[in-house]
Amino acid sequence: MSQLSDIAVSVRSLTKRYGSVTACQDIDLDLVHGSIHGVLGENGAGKSTLMKVLIGLVQPDAGTIEVDGRRVRIDDPATASSLGIGMVHQHFSLVDELRVWENVMLGERERLDALRSRALVVRIGERYGLAVDPDARVGDLTAGQRQRVEIIKCLRRDPGIVIFDEPTSVLTPQESEQLFDVLRVAVEQEGKAVALVSHKLDEIRRATDTVTVLRRGQVVDHGPTDRFDERSLAQAMVGRPVALRGDTAAAVGLTEDLVAVPVPESSSEARPVVLAVNDAVLDRNQHRALDGVTFEVRAGEVVGIAGVEGNGQSDLADVLASLVPLDGGSVMVDGVRVPTGRAGRMTAAGVALIPEDRHDAGCVLDMSVAENLALGALATGPAFRSLDRSAMRRSAERLIEQYGIQTGGPDAPFSSLSGGNQQRVVLARELSSEPKVLVASQPTRGLDVGAIEFMGEKLREAAASGVGVLLISNELEEILLLADRILVMYRGRVIGSMDRADADIERIGLLMGGVTSASTAN
Amino acid sequence: MSELLDAIGTLAGSDALYTSAFQLTVLLVFAASGEWVAEKAGTLNISIEGMLLAGAFGSVVGHEWTGSAIVGLVVAAWAGVSVASIQANLSHRLTANQFVVGLALNVLVLGLAAFFANSFDIGPATAAVVRIPVLQDLPLVGTALFARPWPAYLVYPLVPALWWLVYRTRWGLEARSVGEDPQAADVSGIDVNERRRQAIYVTGLTCGIGGAFLVLAQVGSFQTSIVNGRGFVALAAVIFGGWTLRGTILGCGIFGFLEALAFAIPANGYSVDPVILSSTRYVVALLAVLIFATRVRQPRALAQPFVRGLT
Amino acid sequence: MAQIRTRPGVLMGRTASGDLGITAVLYVVSLGVALAISAGLVAMVGGSASAVFGALLDGSLRSPGAWGLTLTTAAPLLLVAVGTIVATRGGLVNIGQEGQVLMGACFAGYLAVRLGGPGWFVITMSLLFGALGGGLWAGIAAALRSWRDVPEVLTTLLLTFISFPLMTYGLRQQWLIADRDTERVNQINSGEQLPASAKLPDLRVFGNAIDSGFLIALVLAFVLAVLVGRSVLGARIDMLGFNPRAAQRFGVAAKPLSAVVLVGSGATAGAAGAVLLTGGAASDRLVFGFAGNFGWDGLLVALLARGRIAYAIPMAFVFAMLRTGSSFLASTGVDRKMTDVVQALLVLALLVPPAVIFVRNRRRSLRSDEVGVSTPTAAGAA
Repeated sequence: MSQLSDIAVSVRSLTKRYGSVTACQDIDLDLVHGSIHGVLGENGAGKSTLMKVLIGLVQPDAGTIEVDGRRVRIDDPATASSLGIGMVHQHFSLVDELRVWENVMLGERERLDALRSRALVVRIGERYGLAVDPDARVGDLTAGQRQRVEIIKCLRRDPGIVIFDEPTSVLTPQESEQLFDVLRVAVEQEGKAVALVSHKLDEIRRATDTVTVLRRGQVVDHGPTDRFDERSLAQAMVGRPVALRGDTAAAVGLTEDLVAVPVPESSSEARPVVLAVNDAVLDRNQHRALDGVTFEVRAGEVVGIAGVEGNGQSDLADVLASLVPLDGGSVMVDGVRVPTGRAGRMTAAGVALIPEDRHDAGCVLDMSVAENLALGALATGPAFRSLDRSAMRRSAERLIEQYGIQTGGPDAPFSSLSGGNQQRVVLARELSSEPKVLVASQPTRGLDVGAIEFMGEKLREAAASGVGVLLISNELEEILLLADRILVMYRGRVIGSMDRADADIERIGLLMGGVTSASTAN
Repeated sequence: MSELLDAIGTLAGSDALYTSAFQLTVLLVFAASGEWVAEKAGTLNISIEGMLLAGAFGSVVGHEWTGSAIVGLVVAAWAGVSVASIQANLSHRLTANQFVVGLALNVLVLGLAAFFANSFDIGPATAAVVRIPVLQDLPLVGTALFARPWPAYLVYPLVPALWWLVYRTRWGLEARSVGEDPQAADVSGIDVNERRRQAIYVTGLTCGIGGAFLVLAQVGSFQTSIVNGRGFVALAAVIFGGWTLRGTILGCGIFGFLEALAFAIPANGYSVDPVILSSTRYVVALLAVLIFATRVRQPRALAQPFVRGLT
Repeated sequence: MAQIRTRPGVLMGRTASGDLGITAVLYVVSLGVALAISAGLVAMVGGSASAVFGALLDGSLRSPGAWGLTLTTAAPLLLVAVGTIVATRGGLVNIGQEGQVLMGACFAGYLAVRLGGPGWFVITMSLLFGALGGGLWAGIAAALRSWRDVPEVLTTLLLTFISFPLMTYGLRQQWLIADRDTERVNQINSGEQLPASAKLPDLRVFGNAIDSGFLIALVLAFVLAVLVGRSVLGARIDMLGFNPRAAQRFGVAAKPLSAVVLVGSGATAGAAGAVLLTGGAASDRLVFGFAGNFGWDGLLVALLARGRIAYAIPMAFVFAMLRTGSSFLASTGVDRKMTDVVQALLVLALLVPPAVIFVRNRRRSLRSDEVGVSTPTAAGAA
């Protein structure tokens, strides 16, 4: 702790513009050795741009950066790493097909030495409590283990400054705690300077020493973390006084407050079952993605599926999107068995879907907004008939109006829309199809607070109108907020189920990590 | 059919068959092992046919200038790499469709080779036979393996060298990563398109040498139809091999042996319809692709262009 | 094996649109480079570039009857291209047109010399039979793709190389396509001469004989353009090509539709083969190598048209000009293979500008994408 006052990185008046949009404006930021600094802000507040500047992926338009007291220019990631700056990425930095040690060494500039690399992985693992088999194929690891590999990859060069970009999004609450312990070790024993980038208030409060809050590209507040309470942090982040409950609380990652939210009375027992998945089994790439999943969704209720990413949730969504056939079990919609893996059958049966990645099965980027709003109509019915463009345009105009979609018009290319508006197009199309079931898979990923609130509102409206909603989300907060019933998926099974009123974060967290009450008892 | 089997039975005892099979296999190995490197890095390189032809033509030109087969080989390698550089830069700098570029290059090389071959007189070109004592006297395979024109021996160091390059060097690790997951490689600080271009250069180099081998060690002179789809058979061999080097070489051996049979059977006076024989190679390649297609895994980003931010 | 996805929108450059001025400059520069290289090659063999250019124009347009022949030659190229364009839009990479053309010609040749009846009947049936032949040949690739996900880019190619010896075989069997007149000299390895009544009639325009095959190609191009641009089927083909997973989810089953599209593109290539045989662009009997690169060239025409049937018409005409013009090159002392080189260089040159613009646009939109979710409008309108 002797180095507490050593400033590792000092950013002054940093500005970055993209065309007419200013991503970062006059930002000051100090990272100190021996301390964890939180960078808090909602999606698009400028956090990632700021961090990309620090690791050399983006060049600033103005401002200075000092590292350990020397003024520097960070032209590329290699320069950043030679300055002792490392980053643990949120996604995309590991290659599934390669082994752990190969992934750790990927991007290194030195000669490849398998023996030394394996030893390095083991050594770093021991030092920080991040045990992982250096010869394992990364594709076979769980999300938590993969993140260990990410961290080892970052720490391999012993950087003095480490940036963590939304590290808990793929972890169970317990794994997150462990991660924060690792951070503490790195900070206190080795005097590293750590930046923790997050949009979750309680995480920032729990794990950091100091905090900088960003909003719309500017620093709105900063100081020692204990100076703030949740309310003041939330207000700084969102820019208006917020009631820390409901949508907003979920959007800023406050789980504890959510537990206290009163649950509306529901009498769903009496309502008909609109979606019944029975003993669903699915094999993919030689592994069992779904291993006997069984659950029901009733009309008018929201069922949330919690779980760490990669435990079969996206496979379940793919089945309900008619993308893959089940290897066993069945899906019934409104009492009728729907064949799986057959083009369009789920949609025809009344299953609407907001997919995890809207660019995947949610839209056709190269087509117009109007065409995207009409995908369902285009894909069904006789093929040899003329395309009624004016009718398509008319109905598109109606939906654009109704859902407040910001676009150049029905004929604008879908790809010209911003992320939030693309998501609105998807939502408009799916809800206007008058579905019986709405599957929302990570519906708020990458959206900012306003868009998240809009999404929550629409999901609730759908449920109120009698649609059975299946909400699949990694964001426990979102599930706690919206769901009437909560299921937890682990390794392709539903291993826990509870009513919202009985929801207990501790228990859900354990279930997400695969610990059932039976196994705790043993 | 029984006549065909008889013919194969008799031929199996003749070393001429093995010699011919070896020659044809070596050509495919030169082409397919280089193609394997490009595919590991994510390019399905259709211009392999043009690279082979460029190499073949380069070797006769080099030989014509200097009378030296070594110069011929060097010019051939250069020609192969030149074709590769066009493919690489158009498809992995400008992100033009790799298939379109490849097809156009095949047409271009064929056109250029035919144009020059018709415009200038180019004589025969051969490389000296190097005999390895004792080993060349082995029964059946002695001549086939150990009394070859010298370019044939280049294949022995080439294959382990490529294996080492891909699996044991940093470059190879990076090349494999851009073939599997270019986004992850990019985030790790690797220039994805640069690695892909370099992998195509490797293909150009081996195909250039392969083309030289075809002229100097096998045919002895240049004709525009000298390659005749063998580049595409090499493509099939990579798929047959399930994107492993060992499997690819095995595929080359099988295709090479079948082609040798196709040549040998009518030459030995058996009345099997030569049409059946000359299409065997392609039919087998087709069947091989069919049988092995779903069992093995291809590099996940094969034939997918990489532009940063475009997933 | 995972399907090789091709993202036609990206690859064929359909999403590329940009500043008109820069686009024009890029095209001028890259075409200029291609022509300069061609001129350099001509100079290398001691020819004169202007003489070559003049000869090409003479052969393709200026000499008597030349432009009629050029239009006649453009017909099979256009036929091959239109089917291929539809396949490309559906995300399919059919590159085996040469074999499909050959199969179409063989099928048409088989029927044309056997079927009796009025000329129009024989011709129509021969064309349809040719389309059937090309469709069946592409159908093998389609079946393998549906059945085992074998990439059609490789199977169509291999099938082309199988089609050559297969035709040779056919040319030696009288029950297939060999000449049944055993008395004729040089009867070996050639097909039977088509009766005059089975030949496509010529249209006479200003002293030029234009094969009616050209009309057939134009009509088919028009029909397919309407189908692609104005029908629900066309929209489905686009969905399949741009985003097969979205297509699957909304009810466009990939397997049957891609099979239909692939077979369809084979059928137009087969029809091109039939037009070659019954029309005036090639010999009127089947011989080895009959397809004469019409398949390959038609494929290039299609790829250059970047998904638009309308663009294929001028492209096919330019390619046909190079073909008919090349026969006049002998007088200049430059080998006629020069036109193959020019053709390939043109293809490469035409690839560059849209690719440059695409990369430029991508870089630009990448910059705004990063803040796309954060723009106030995205959130504020709630």
